[in-house]
Amino acid sequence: MVTSENTKMNGLERAKQLSKNRGLRAKELRSQGRKIIGYLCSYAPLEFFTALDLVPHRIMGSVGEPIIKADAYLEPIACPFVRSCLDKALKDDYDFLDGVVFPHSCDNVQHLSSIWNYYLKPELYYFLNVPHMTEPSSFEFFKSELTAFKKYLEDFAGKELTDQALLEAIKLHNKNRALLRELNALRKQDTPLISGAELLQTMVATMVLPADEETGLIESVIEEVKNRPPKDSDEDRPRIMIYGCEIDSPEFMQMVEDSGASVVMDDLCTGTRGYWEGVDETGDPVEAIANRYLDKLRCPRTYRVSPGTHEADIANRFEYLKEYAEEFDVNGAILYIIRYCDTQEFDAPDVRDYLQSIGLPVLHIEDDYTLAGIEGLRTRVQAFVEMIV
Amino acid sequence: MAEQQKTKTTATKSTKTAGKVRPIVKKMYLRAQEAAAEGRPIAYGMVASQYEEILRAMDITPIWTENYAALTAAKQVAEPYITKAEAEGFSNVLCKYAMVGIGFDAIRAETGKIPEGAPDGGMAQPTMLLGSSAVCDPRFKWYQTLGRYMDTPIHCIDVVYPNSNHFTLEMRDYYVKYQTEQFKELVNFLEKTTGTKMDWERLDHIMDIADETIQVWWDAYQLRKATPCPMPSQDHFSCMVPAYYLLGEQEALDFYRELHDELKERVDNKVGAVENEKYRLLWGGGLPPWHTLSIFNYFESLGAVFTIETSYHPPEPLEPMGKDVHPLKRLSSRVVDRAMKAQARAKEGCGDSRVQQILDLLKEYNNVGMMMHQARSCRAMSLGQIHFKNMVQEHIKVPTMFMESDIVDVRDYSEAQTKMQVDAFVDAVESYAQSLN
Ligand code: SF4
Ligand code: SF4
Repeated sequence: MVTSENTKMNGLERAKQLSKNRGLRAKELRSQGRKIIGYLCSYAPLEFFTALDLVPHRIMGSVGEPIIKADAYLEPIACPFVRSCLDKALKDDYDFLDGVVFPHSCDNVQHLSSIWNYYLKPELYYFLNVPHMTEPSSFEFFKSELTAFKKYLEDFAGKELTDQALLEAIKLHNKNRALLRELNALRKQDTPLISGAELLQTMVATMVLPADEETGLIESVIEEVKNRPPKDSDEDRPRIMIYGCEIDSPEFMQMVEDSGASVVMDDLCTGTRGYWEGVDETGDPVEAIANRYLDKLRCPRTYRVSPGTHEADIANRFEYLKEYAEEFDVNGAILYIIRYCDTQEFDAPDVRDYLQSIGLPVLHIEDDYTLAGIEGLRTRVQAFVEMIV
Repeated sequence: MAEQQKTKTTATKSTKTAGKVRPIVKKMYLRAQEAAAEGRPIAYGMVASQYEEILRAMDITPIWTENYAALTAAKQVAEPYITKAEAEGFSNVLCKYAMVGIGFDAIRAETGKIPEGAPDGGMAQPTMLLGSSAVCDPRFKWYQTLGRYMDTPIHCIDVVYPNSNHFTLEMRDYYVKYQTEQFKELVNFLEKTTGTKMDWERLDHIMDIADETIQVWWDAYQLRKATPCPMPSQDHFSCMVPAYYLLGEQEALDFYRELHDELKERVDNKVGAVENEKYRLLWGGGLPPWHTLSIFNYFESLGAVFTIETSYHPPEPLEPMGKDVHPLKRLSSRVVDRAMKAQARAKEGCGDSRVQQILDLLKEYNNVGMMMHQARSCRAMSLGQIHFKNMVQEHIKVPTMFMESDIVDVRDYSEAQTKMQVDAFVDAVESYAQSLN
């Protein structure tokens, strides 16, 4: 049972609790009259929700839970993460949502969106068209699309979304992103202060809290991990970067860490992609939001104009991974690709080759999100870690 | 890699006009090979990207890479390309059109020449790659990844559909504007890459031909409503070629005029695609199994004919626009307005434009069964089929079969199992048809 007591608990324990029971706080807030809006992937403009006092809640799946209900609505060749999300919803795990917003991140989300709307009939349902291209006209279009969405949300919330309120929400989310970068930076040292599994749990927790409560949670985690007794030296453990999309439960990270490595950096939708870049706080706020989500967010679903040669194109698309690797002193990378996630699947060989070209050993895993075959993965990861040592 | 055509996998064509498509396809690849020999511009392109007329107006020879993959499937020679793409690290669940294309270009990059035994002489080396976001994500990711094998200028465009559930008329303007801008940026790229300026009047003229082609094609398919049905789906999967790949050319227009005349004659003389037409079926979703189109022959042997299909369906003709409209705006409006028209119809009916199309076709073509192809590697056209079927069932309890295989990969197909499924399906169709009488 939810009590205000356990909402006061803070730090890693609270993060862990929220990452396991993601609807906990949302249900409590809902009982107090707040509206909870579910969204999928990383392209929903969170700032809009926050500015209108709506609580954004990231829809995630359930690793390890067999698909029972979704089979009757969505084909087995759909992205298994998306299938898991739908399955949970059909089992009423998302019955606390007042609405859902699906940005057009990929083919899978597009298909999920109409199915969700048809069978689950949320009070608010919106499909937001996000362009795939990044030409000047694409930003212009996205801005118009966001403006139409903003108007729709205003009607739903029954109040106007002023530029001032939007700017404040931008600042709040930027602050949280900065705090997450600060927390993430605690993995830079030889013995990281926070493990990959703990950080992921914290990330998941932030995504199911209203922005103002996120701040306190992240601050308390930073405080806690900085002050806990130092661990034994991790200096000999290979430092791993994880590349992929939706990893929303800690088992995979835990398994990598149990295999003798430290997860020190990631490029995940449920990781750095959410906080590496913020929204510009000057100028037109809707335009700044369009720029952040379409340009600064690094996801293979967005096409980047090629500067000319293949070499230049690859550098343009993946150089940030080199920066990550250098900054976090990474010794090897694991690509965790969810099967049927087309855009990631297409990029994987390029990412692999690029990382190898900068001297990083790479383990390329294609998995079905559920981690049903985690023991097989463990063997592969152990062999990889041993090879790096 | 020799062409190893063991058993006949293609379907027997019913109309004479459909028989003319194969030489057209051969000529398409030959044209590109000639363009390569003469140093003229050649573009890899994606079907239905809406830029067909632009290429034509700029004398750029297109190679439709999805069509080429389908060709390798029909010839049953796709596997070595797929295997090559897998060896490069691409997942075998990816779109098999893309896998064939990637494998083809990987082999060419490695050997310095067109892979041996490639059907129709292979795809000539392109001088540019034109991806798009029309229909699915693989259509820009595929070309992006081809950089691995060629340093060829690339340009991708968005094709945006007004598919938001809250789409309003007010939003139309910025959709059309964006689409126009996307075409404009494409034309800039093409002008820069080829060194030739766009001739707008020529584009306008080509679009006139295209519009007329679509109209004739549309009219021809209305004739398939007749009983017995004069043309089956296996013919359609050939006959759609000129409209998708030669749009704007006089040859395509002539082709559909001929098809129209042939169908008219057949209808007048009550010549059906199947001798004793017993069951009329709808191809209700998914791209065809190019590796085994002969499955249609099996349906025919049971007296079943596919009268119409949602895949590669001719777009509904729109009112012509005024002559003062810029051709790019004309092109963009076409994209947006077609979708809006379909949505308007859905609003009056079941609410979903894709399901509405199924319901309309079932009724208009008098069908008593529906088949959908769940092609394992094509998410764009296979996802949603269960949902569409569920929705359709709320309106009519028409028997539905899901065929499971792939667009290209014959390894995902079991003939024995499919035939058993077809038998059971036709039985269900029989009972359903009787219940209607
Ligand atoms: S994991 Fe990939 S396919 Fe699945 S929702 Fe995310 S981007 Fe789409
Ligand atoms: S995924 Fe489907 S729609 Fe997209 S290119 Fe492949 S076959 Fe065509």
